[in-house]
This record gives sequence, C-alpha cells and structure tokens, in this order.
Amino acid sequence: MKTPVVPAPVPDPAAASPGAFQALASASQLAKRGLRRLLCLQIARSALRLGFAATAAMAVGRLVMAEPIASWLVPVTIALLLAACIAGFAADRAQASTETAVSIGLRERAGKRLDETPARRLQSLSVGGVIMSMQRHPEAIAGLVVGHRAASTMMAAGPLLAVAALFLVSWQAALLVICLTPVMILFFALIGRAIRRRADAQERAYGRLAGQFADRIRTLPTILANHATSGEEAKLARRLEAYADNTMGVLRIAFANAGIIDFFASLSIAILAVLLGLGHLKLAMVPGFSNLELWQSLFILMIAPEYFAPFRRFSEQYHAKAEGLAAAGALDRLLDTEEVVAKPLPVLDVLSLELPAHGLVAITGPSGSGKSTLLRRLAGIEAGGIPALGSRRLTAEDIAWVSTDAYVPEGTLAGAISWNAGAVDPNRLQHVARAIGLLDDALLPGGLAARLDKGGANLSGGQRLRIAVARAQLCGRTVLADEPTAKLDPGTAGAVRRMLLEISTRRLLVVATHDRSLSGAADITFDLTHGDTVEVAA
Amino acid sequence: MSAAIRSSSRTSWRLAAGFAFAALGCAILLGGVSAWLLGSVAIAGLSAAAFTFNFHMAAAFIRLFAVGRTAARYGERLTGHKAALTDQIARRVELFAAMAAAPAVLRTGWQLGDDARLADYLDDVEDLDYARLRAGLPALTLACGLAILIAASAVLAPLSLLPITLLLLAILFAGNRVAKAGAMAWERTRSLRRGGASRLGAAMASAVPLKAEGAWSRECAEALAAFSRADGALLGLRQLQAVLDMIGTTFGPVAGISVMAAAWHAGRQGTELLPPMLLAFSWIALGEAMNGASRIAVAMLRRNAARNEIGHWMQAAPAGRPSSALDETLPRLLRHGALQRRAPDGRAIGTPISLLLAPGQTTMLVGASGSGKTSLLKQIAGWIGDDAFAAGDRILSASERRAQATLVLHDAVIIEDTVRANLFAGDAPDAALWRALEAVEMDGRIHEAGGLDAWIRQDRFSLGEAQRINLARAWLSSRPLMLLDEPTEHLDYEQGQRILERLLAHLGDRIVVISTHRASSLRDARTIELQP
Repeated sequence: MKTPVVPAPVPDPAAASPGAFQALASASQLAKRGLRRLLCLQIARSALRLGFAATAAMAVGRLVMAEPIASWLVPVTIALLLAACIAGFAADRAQASTETAVSIGLRERAGKRLDETPARRLQSLSVGGVIMSMQRHPEAIAGLVVGHRAASTMMAAGPLLAVAALFLVSWQAALLVICLTPVMILFFALIGRAIRRRADAQERAYGRLAGQFADRIRTLPTILANHATSGEEAKLARRLEAYADNTMGVLRIAFANAGIIDFFASLSIAILAVLLGLGHLKLAMVPGFSNLELWQSLFILMIAPEYFAPFRRFSEQYHAKAEGLAAAGALDRLLDTEEVVAKPLPVLDVLSLELPAHGLVAITGPSGSGKSTLLRRLAGIEAGGIPALGSRRLTAEDIAWVSTDAYVPEGTLAGAISWNAGAVDPNRLQHVARAIGLLDDALLPGGLAARLDKGGANLSGGQRLRIAVARAQLCGRTVLADEPTAKLDPGTAGAVRRMLLEISTRRLLVVATHDRSLSGAADITFDLTHGDTVEVAA
Repeated sequence: MSAAIRSSSRTSWRLAAGFAFAALGCAILLGGVSAWLLGSVAIAGLSAAAFTFNFHMAAAFIRLFAVGRTAARYGERLTGHKAALTDQIARRVELFAAMAAAPAVLRTGWQLGDDARLADYLDDVEDLDYARLRAGLPALTLACGLAILIAASAVLAPLSLLPITLLLLAILFAGNRVAKAGAMAWERTRSLRRGGASRLGAAMASAVPLKAEGAWSRECAEALAAFSRADGALLGLRQLQAVLDMIGTTFGPVAGISVMAAAWHAGRQGTELLPPMLLAFSWIALGEAMNGASRIAVAMLRRNAARNEIGHWMQAAPAGRPSSALDETLPRLLRHGALQRRAPDGRAIGTPISLLLAPGQTTMLVGASGSGKTSLLKQIAGWIGDDAFAAGDRILSASERRAQATLVLHDAVIIEDTVRANLFAGDAPDAALWRALEAVEMDGRIHEAGGLDAWIRQDRFSLGEAQRINLARAWLSSRPLMLLDEPTEHLDYEQGQRILERLLAHLGDRIVVISTHRASSLRDARTIELQP
C-alpha cells in the first residue's frame, strides 16, 4: 500500500559536481517546449470553460426569466463548449506526448552515460537495479517535470482566471472566494505537517513491515528449502494486518487534505447560493449580491467550483512528486557514483609489452595479482596506464574476448556463435562447433539449431565460454582470453586448449590463466607472482 | 479467505458503496438545488411572493448537501481504502501460499529473486488489489447516477433523451475501444518492457566482453530502445484515453443543454422551467464524475492483464500443499539402482547412475559447471522429478523426501526479518543458535549487528556472509536428509574447509550429500564424478 507521503530525498544542488548526471535538470530542459505548449492549452481550456459557463448561464437565466435571448447566444455556447473540450483533448495529448518525449530523451542521455561508464563499474552495479532505473525512472521523472509542474502552474493560473471572470460580474463575490483561499491554505499547511509527522512515525515504527510481501516472494525458494512456508504465511498475515491498520491511521489524516478542498468548494457554493438568493428576494441588501440578473448569479455559482478545481488536481499529483523525486535521486546515484577504485597494481603501470603479431602470450600469477586487470587494460576498458604495446595498439574492432560471461544473444546456437563475427561460412561454423564439442553436448540438444533462451539462461558458463572460443576462431581477430579453462571438465578443457593453440599459430592470443598446460605452451609469459617484478620468458 | 475477513470486507465495501452513492447524490443535488433556488427566488423576487418564500428551508438543504458531499467523500475514500486493504491482506496471503506451491519455485533460477521482475510482479499484484476501488466502485455509482438522471429526463424533458442516448452510445463505443485497443497497447507495452529488460540484463551480465569488443553501446542502445518503444505503446493508450475523456467532458453540459432545450421546445415557461433547470445542473454535476471514465477503463484492462500474468505462475500448481510434517523415522539407507538424472525441464541427462546414500558417510557430487550437480541434488531432495527411492523396506516418494530433506541452496538468501527468524530453527534455545553461528564463524558479525533479535536485510551482508548464515540453517536443521549445494562457494578456501568439517562432524548421524566443482580432501567421503 502506498501512503500518500513518501519522504523523498531532496537533491542538494550544491553537491552536484559539474560532471554529475542531474536527471531532474536534464528532464526540465527536455520538457521546456512541450510544457509551454501544454500550459497554453490548459489555460485555453480553462478560459473556454469560463466562456461556456458565462454564455450557458446567460441563456438559462434569460430563458427562465422569459427575457429575450439573442440568436447568437445558443450557438456560441455550444461552440465554446466544444472548443473547451477540444482544447482539453489537445492538452491531454500534449501532456502524454511531452511526458513520453521527456522519458525517451532522458533514457537516451542515461544510455550515453552508461556507454561512458567503465566496465568494472558496470560489473559492480546490481543488474536488477539498472533495469529498474532504465525502465521506470525516466517515466516517473517525466511525470514530475511535466504533469506535476503543469498542475502547480495551473494552481496559480486557473484560480486567477476564475477570479477575473467573477470580477466582471461581482467584485464582492470574487473577494469572498479569494478570502476563503488563505484559510484553506492554512488548513493545508497544518494538515500537511500532521501527515508528515504521522508518516514519519509510521516509518519509524512499521517501516520494516512495508516490503514484507515483496520480500517473502523474493525469498520463496529459501523459505521452501527450510520448510518454513506455513510459519511464514501466518507471520505474513499478521504483519500485513498490522501494517494495514497503521496505514489506515495515516490515510485518515491524509484524506483530510482532499476533504478540505471538497469542503471549501462545497462551502463556497453554499454561501454564494444563499447570499445570491437573499439578494434576489430583496430580503437583505448585501452589496455585490443584490440587484443581479439571474444569469449573473447562475454564472457566479458555476464559476466558484472552477476556482477550486486546480487545487484538487494539484493535490492528486502528490504521488507524482514523491515518485519523481525518488526516481531522480535513484538515477543520479546510479549514474554518478565514483569509479570503483581498483587495487593499485604499480607493476602494471611500468610494464612495457612488446606483443608479437601472432603467437601465445600468457599472463600468469595467483588470484588478485592483476591478470584480468592487465587483460582489460590491453583492451582499453580499464582506467589506468595502458601498458606500452610497442608498435601495436589494439582497438575494439580487432579484439575477440573469451570468458565465461561471453555475450549470447537469444536465438539459435549457430546465431550465437556467428554473432559479431562478420560473415561466416556455414561449413566452417559446423566444423568449429563440432571441434569445440558444442554439437554433441547432451545439455544442449539440437546441434546448431539448438534454442538458446534470453540472455543464454539455459547455458552453463562452460557452454558460454566454448561459444566464445568458437566465435574467436571464426572471426579472425586478436583474442584476449580470461581464464578460458577454469571450471571446465578435463575433456572440454582439452578441446578449448587445442582450439586456442590453433588460433595462436595464426593470430595473437593473450591469455590470463592458471592452467599450467596452457601457459607452458606460451611463446611469452608474463608472471605477476611477485608484485614488483615481471618475469618474461620467451 | 477466512469467514471473518470475508464478512468484514463485505461490510466495508457496502459502507464504501453507501458513502459513494451519498457523495454523488449530494454533489448532484448541491448543483441542482442551488440553481433551482436561484431561479425560484429570482422569479419570486419579482412579486410579493418574495415575502412568503420559504428561503431558509432551501438554504438549509443546500448547506446539508455541501457538508454531506464533503463528509461522504471522505467516508468513501476511507472505507473504500479500508475495504481494499482488507481484501489486499487476504489476497496477498493466499497468493503467497499459491506461489509457494507453484512449480517454478523448485526450479533453478527463481525469477522473482530479481529486483526488476519482482517490481513488475508487485505492480500486477497492486493492479489486482485496487481494481475494485479504482474501477468497480466508481463504475457502479456512475451507472446508478446515470439511471436516475435518465429517468428524471424521461419524465421532465423526453426529447432530451435523444442527444443524451447518442452521446452515451458514443462514450460506450469509445470506452469499448479503450478496452480493446488499450488492452492490446498495454500488452505490447508489457512485452516490450520485458524484452528490453532481458536484453539489458544480458548486456549487463556480459559488460566486460561487450565493452572490450566495442559492442556495448549497440546492445545497450537496443535494449533502451525497447523501453522507449514501450513508452510509445503506452502513449498510444493514453491518446485513446484522451479521446474518451474528451467525449466524457462534453457529456454533462450537453445533457444539461438538451434538457433545457427540450423543456423550452415543449413550451414550458417561467416557473415551469425550474425543475428542468434543476435537472440540467444535476447533469452538469454528474458530468464531473464522468471525467474519470477513462481511468475506470484503464484500471479494468490493467486488472485483466495482471490477472492473466499472475495466473501464469499458478499454472500446473498441484492442488494440495506438500506436507512439511517431520517424519521422525530416520531412513538408514537411501538407494536408487538406476536413477535417470533429469534437467529441471525434465530432459534426461547422461546415463542412469546408481546411488547409495548412507548416514555417516558423506557423498560428494563432483563435476564441472553445467554437469547437473544442482539438478541431481534437487532430484534427491524431491524438488524435481518423481523418482521413488528405496529406504530399507520402504519406498520414499519425491514428496516424502521433500519433507525429510533440508536442501541448502547455493543461492539461498536472507529474508528481511530478525536473525532468529532467518535461522528457521523454530523455538530452539538461544544457546543453540549461538553455537550454530559460532560454527559458521558468524557470531562476531551477528553480535555487531545487534544479536539474535536484530533486524537484518540482504544488502547488509556480503555473499560469503549470506552463505555462512545459510550453513548455520543447515547446522540447526533436524531433518535426516541433508543436501548441500556448493556449501563453500563465496568463502575462501581455508575458511570453507574449516566450516564444512565442523558441519559434517555435527551432522554425523545424517545422510549428507554435497555438490562441489572443486574436489576437496574430505575424509571418509565417497565421490561421484558427474559427466554431462
């Protein structure tokens, strides 16, 4: 259950560094033009509705009083009504399309930001968190900078228009409505404080119980494995009930907010109707409310609710504000966090590599000595000095990366192997896939036509790695391989080793490995065992 | 749903409906009667009737309607939410039980363990929870209001029914279009979002290779483009809504104008026009309620989509819940002569193997990644397949084994609760809990966190710490069949061996099976090599 008040982190503008993402500022900038159009349309709608109210009141009032009605009045009334509806329609569409455009634009900017994010930082992010941010947060932020912004502007413009219209008929009635506003705002402030206090108290006392259902669904396999289903079910029921009871306590106050607007809107109608009625009866001479035509008093009666409507629309946007602010904060945090500081490896900074055009280069050393880091620096995707490479410099276009987290697109095995490998001869594809043992894999039946799930969900790390090796064999690029034989059974490891050695006779293969039988066959070995020296053996 | 909850929910809904009717009635009457009053006094003011006009009665009614509208709206919101919350509790508890029985939980890779999937699921649950409040209740009150005003119009100004009916038909037509085309747009939005999410997830999982090969920006951009196309599909839905809302806003004023025009056409004059005027202003007041029509339609189509989606989880769920009652008799030997290993989707793996599991002698399942170790453990645990094992002179079916086995999953997680609840040890004494935490070398960390009754969450613990809490659960379990999936994963080698040896010594009288990808030097362990 959402409570109407979510304590949202307020972004601190002073803390934003020049390179910060600043989702809110970007979104406002993207929204600028659409927002202006939206506001024009909304103001037009309000003005046209007032015009309709005026002409309709005039027609009805004169009809009832048996006064002559100008022949233009009825068509104009209907025209104004239709124009108001069309303006409203255009405003709704403008709001929807502006919000969508802002959301899409913001997502593009976030995508660019992800492009600039180093691989190491990407790895440290929670995948689910990134997906949520990219999917949902732009939409929520767009709702804040477009819908909420428009509603808050209309809260000033709408009542002003209504008061101006009232003023034409009776300035005293206008004054009466204006006088009600500060009282209403005072109540607003009082209740707003009470809601916040209550919500904070709830957060302190019951905040833990807010996500219990989600948490128990998330952890279902663990609960099942520990035979705790029925116990957790009973506990869940108890906690949901406690939380719901408390939520009702907060809602009781929160709904008073909407109640106040209702109350003042109703009250203004009641007061005006009584004052105007007395004026018509000529029982009391209230200045501004006597000697009015019927159509004038009907007009006042119809305008009064219009005065309060923008307040109601704004208060309905409360969620949009809380969600938008929270989303902007989350997106900034995701895209702005400092680079994960890598363990300093001074040995890599002074390293000078002379890489041959072909052959096997092995990087060895215990875990944590910097093998993978060196490999990533060679690929140019890790901050820090790129080791001097002599005459060669690797670019992304001539690198094939082999590891257990190789990318596998959804589709067939054949498609996965030839992905990003250029034009591939089907016979060679068949041959290579067989040589690496992908065609007789019992866990992947179907040969080259075997179906791979989204994200390669039905593949083991070993299968992914073999797909990457086959791809590397086919594509003709320099191969960088990160621990290609770890975690494989001996037979598969042998096949991988054979294919890598075959690749190294024609191309450069740099491999970070623990595997003695692979490093033993290397033309050059960089040993990072001792942090300060690098042994090079040819 | 228990009878007490059901009746309390029914009472709340009745009350909410009552308030909703009262609120709408007061709103309609406030507009109508105020206008009528002005008309009557304006006419009365022309003559001596002004002095006999019962003004205070009418003014009192208007005040009553004003206060009544405010109060009834407040009551409607409050009781409506109360009713929805009551239903929500019952529905969520039921849903939890049903999800626990869903076969998907037993397979590898629990999809709702992922934050993004879980968030989508929760959206669906919420769409179901609030459908009645957002769609059912307003639709009901609106329909009743319409019926009453149409009846009044038929009496006072029959001719006005023609435009009113035409416009209503237009609204129904547009509403139907929102329901149909909107449901398609919403379905498209959802499927595009899912596609984008899985694509982005795949790219994130392969960030290093993609960045190295220069393919990251293309893959990431395509995933984000899917999200943006989803936004576009959603825009289609909102534009349909705008059409419906446009027709909806014309409804009240057009109906009002029609009533006045029809009355005038029928030759009514002066005071005879006052009742039609009351009706006309009532129509305008009802028109305000009509503005929510598109939201009602969208709430309904979202409810249907959510119901569908949640239904997928329940498909093929067994009717009865598995008994988790502990069978006290320890099986001495658990045997299967020729067990056909199966992948979670039921496919056969390799040739049948022979298994003989005995208490006191640890069995190690060793094999490379992808050799089906976890699947075999789940098969022994009775989570997948329906193999029968021989236990002495008895036959243990899969569901019987499920009741007797503690399966220590390698991806087990921490539930958001106290440490005590996380150990799943029922009412075991504190000393036993601390002993278990000591054995897995977590006692210091838990002291730091605030003891057994400290509230803990997943994100405060490293993978290794979560794994050790998981092993403490195994320590405290009293089930006779103990299946450990990669128990030393995320732990450094020495610590892993230390904890595992302690745990095995403690579990000396049980049947223990361990899966691991690295051969280790455990004494007295029998090793089964698994080949894919």
